[in-house]
Amino acid sequence: MSANTSRLKRFGALLGQSLLFLVTSLSTLTVFFIFYFIARDAVPFFKLEGFREFFTSSSWYPTGHPAEFGARAIFFGTGIVTLGAVVVAVPLGVSAAVCLSDVLPFNVRQVVKPVIEILAAIPSVAYGFFALVVFAPLLQNKGGAVLAIGAWLILAPVLALLVVVVSDLTADRFSDLMRHKVRWILILLLGGAALAGMIALGRHLNSIEIISGANALNVAVILGIMALPTVVSVSEDALQATGRELREGSYALGATRAETILKTVIPASISGILAAVILGIMRAIGETMVVWMASGNAARIPEPWYNMLEPVRTLTATIAGDMGEADHVTGSARFHVLFAMALCLLAFSFIMNLVSEGIVRHSRKKLGK
Amino acid sequence: MRLETRRLLDRAFSGLGVIAIGVMALALIVILTPIIVKGSGAFVFRSTVEHRKVMFDQWDRGNPQRIEADKAAAAEARQPVYDMLSAFDAELKAMPRKERSLYKKPLRELEKALAELLGPVPGEHTPVLIRQQYGATRWDRAKIKLDELLYTEDWDYSNPDALGVLVKTPRVEQFRGTALEPLFAYIKENISAMMRPRWTFYWQFLFDTSKDSHIFGGIGPEVLGTIYLTLGAMIFAIPMGVIAAIYLCEYSREGRVVSFLRICISTLAGVPSIVFGLFGLAFFLNTIHISNSKSVLAGSLTLSLLILPTVIRASEEAILAVPHSYKEAALSLGSGRWHTVMTVILPAALPGILTGTVISMGRAAGETAPIIFTAAVSVGRPLMPLEALSQPTPALPWNIYNLSTEHEAVDEIRHVQFGMVFTLVALVLLLNLFAIVMRARISKKLRG
Repeated sequence: MSANTSRLKRFGALLGQSLLFLVTSLSTLTVFFIFYFIARDAVPFFKLEGFREFFTSSSWYPTGHPAEFGARAIFFGTGIVTLGAVVVAVPLGVSAAVCLSDVLPFNVRQVVKPVIEILAAIPSVAYGFFALVVFAPLLQNKGGAVLAIGAWLILAPVLALLVVVVSDLTADRFSDLMRHKVRWILILLLGGAALAGMIALGRHLNSIEIISGANALNVAVILGIMALPTVVSVSEDALQATGRELREGSYALGATRAETILKTVIPASISGILAAVILGIMRAIGETMVVWMASGNAARIPEPWYNMLEPVRTLTATIAGDMGEADHVTGSARFHVLFAMALCLLAFSFIMNLVSEGIVRHSRKKLGK
Repeated sequence: MRLETRRLLDRAFSGLGVIAIGVMALALIVILTPIIVKGSGAFVFRSTVEHRKVMFDQWDRGNPQRIEADKAAAAEARQPVYDMLSAFDAELKAMPRKERSLYKKPLRELEKALAELLGPVPGEHTPVLIRQQYGATRWDRAKIKLDELLYTEDWDYSNPDALGVLVKTPRVEQFRGTALEPLFAYIKENISAMMRPRWTFYWQFLFDTSKDSHIFGGIGPEVLGTIYLTLGAMIFAIPMGVIAAIYLCEYSREGRVVSFLRICISTLAGVPSIVFGLFGLAFFLNTIHISNSKSVLAGSLTLSLLILPTVIRASEEAILAVPHSYKEAALSLGSGRWHTVMTVILPAALPGILTGTVISMGRAAGETAPIIFTAAVSVGRPLMPLEALSQPTPALPWNIYNLSTEHEAVDEIRHVQFGMVFTLVALVLLLNLFAIVMRARISKKLRG
């Protein structure tokens, strides 16, 4: 009797456990569902049109006769916008993370964290609305001034620092008597040169007139801000994970805080920071609403290619924008090409994800955790 | 390197970090300020008598006697304008044909500008479109309309090297020496008697349906649609997510299968949101035909997949944060594993799980890309809960996009767009604030 009950009990537990496993795997296997259903609708496109045109041509005329599906310019648009976002987000994000983990006292950190959380929580359509309704008109009407102020804000502190350090380092090579004088002369000379350069650059930027505020620069800045929270929180985790021993060892050798961070902490946590950058890239690539609303949606490669003031078009915006017109003709190449784009996005994010997972696991092993 | 230089570098380095954080905070302020300031303008603003007419005619709001008095006072101030117009009409009739044709176009433009400011001329037949039945309902719009009435705008392209320059000329120039000449000065002087601006708190903006594609009324259907979509997503995501977290934390042994599951979860978290939208279209709508058209159900399911990884991770963290001693105590008292999970671990982890789900609720409420193809339509009425299974709905994120890019009168309804963004952002931030406060309480409890 008791053997029977216990068997029943064990059977019940097993059943429950397999049920749990079933639900868990169902929810995780969704990923395969997604891959399968996106690929299923993407394959007909490649069957109809082949690979060559899609990846190499940049004439995108899906409604023309004959229709052309060259997506090179669209891939390029995604690339340039993401690159711009990385340029904005990575330096800012990593220095903010360093500051959060090593510089700021605990109670200041408690205030800064919610700022990051709020930045991450604002819906993408609100960012897109800001880019379209506030930022784009500003760029269009006062574009030159905005660019000049931006350049001043970024370059002035960096150049000032550079001037002082370079003149200090050069002055070190002279004898004690000369050193002080040489240092001041160098600071004045280099500082004057830097200032003149800045003024010239500011004048040049100020004279630029931006034809349309909906352009790659606008989107890149907003995407950079959107990717910031990811970059900051992931790289802060990585910096924290290096532990105190490493830092204390470096301090004991007489290093300043900056030297400790630059020469010890960052090299030790470089893989985590890399993972943060990858996650930031993924956030920027997958973003739809901002680019759809504010990138201008012109499917051509700007002249020259690094001209961020021209409108561009990205993969996500093309999918979102063209599906509305294509979906009543389910089955046409025009419908399936959007799935082909989605498949590219999916494959890219999958690979990036694997890479970042691999990096994190590798670094954990290295740090012995 | 000299010590001073090293010290300077050190300080500069810290300075760079502080600057970076400052830039971040600045970005937050710069983005939120216009949204909050202009967004609250959809709720609190100076309404004109036209707004009160709309409210009375379309929604039966307001005290009839006071509205009548209001209307009468405004009409009295407006009467001289119409008198001048009819005087000008008489003047036109007396003119030779050639001269008369000169005034034809300016007069038509003037009448149009007047109708946009004051509404249709009293006594003439009522226009079909609601938007043409009323003048400017908001004082800020009225001032813009006044400006358009007083000045004509032209673009000067005479300099081929630069962009066109806007040239404004007073409209009165076109009517010099006619009966209409004093009209412009009169309107400028008496605009506030004609429009009767008054501060209004239009809280019903949140609940009203919109009239004539969002030119009047509020954002009720959109708010309701967003709530349906969010709650629907949570109904599917919470059970799945919590069960998966329980399995991963309490039942599974670390091994190949589990690490494979974890890779799947992190991949799911990295899938771009627009791809979720395409998947929802291809699977829920085109393959298993969950509903005949787009529907709230399909949108909720798509959103639930999107937030599933977040829910799983948050629940996992919450379960792992439960002190080990709780579990050991329960097991040592002879309770089974399932019993322990249900009676000890889950109740202790519940606040943490709730925090995570509240944050993902905010995410689900704000996502646009997944619902474009699965749930959202531009115009619609508020749905009954059962209709959500088969009907599409307007939703805040989609309508923000739609109104700010595809609407025929984008500039006229800026306040509605800002109001929507403000509502959405406020909703999401309130959810997050709730989560932040809750987490602080939990960590205090776990520490103390």
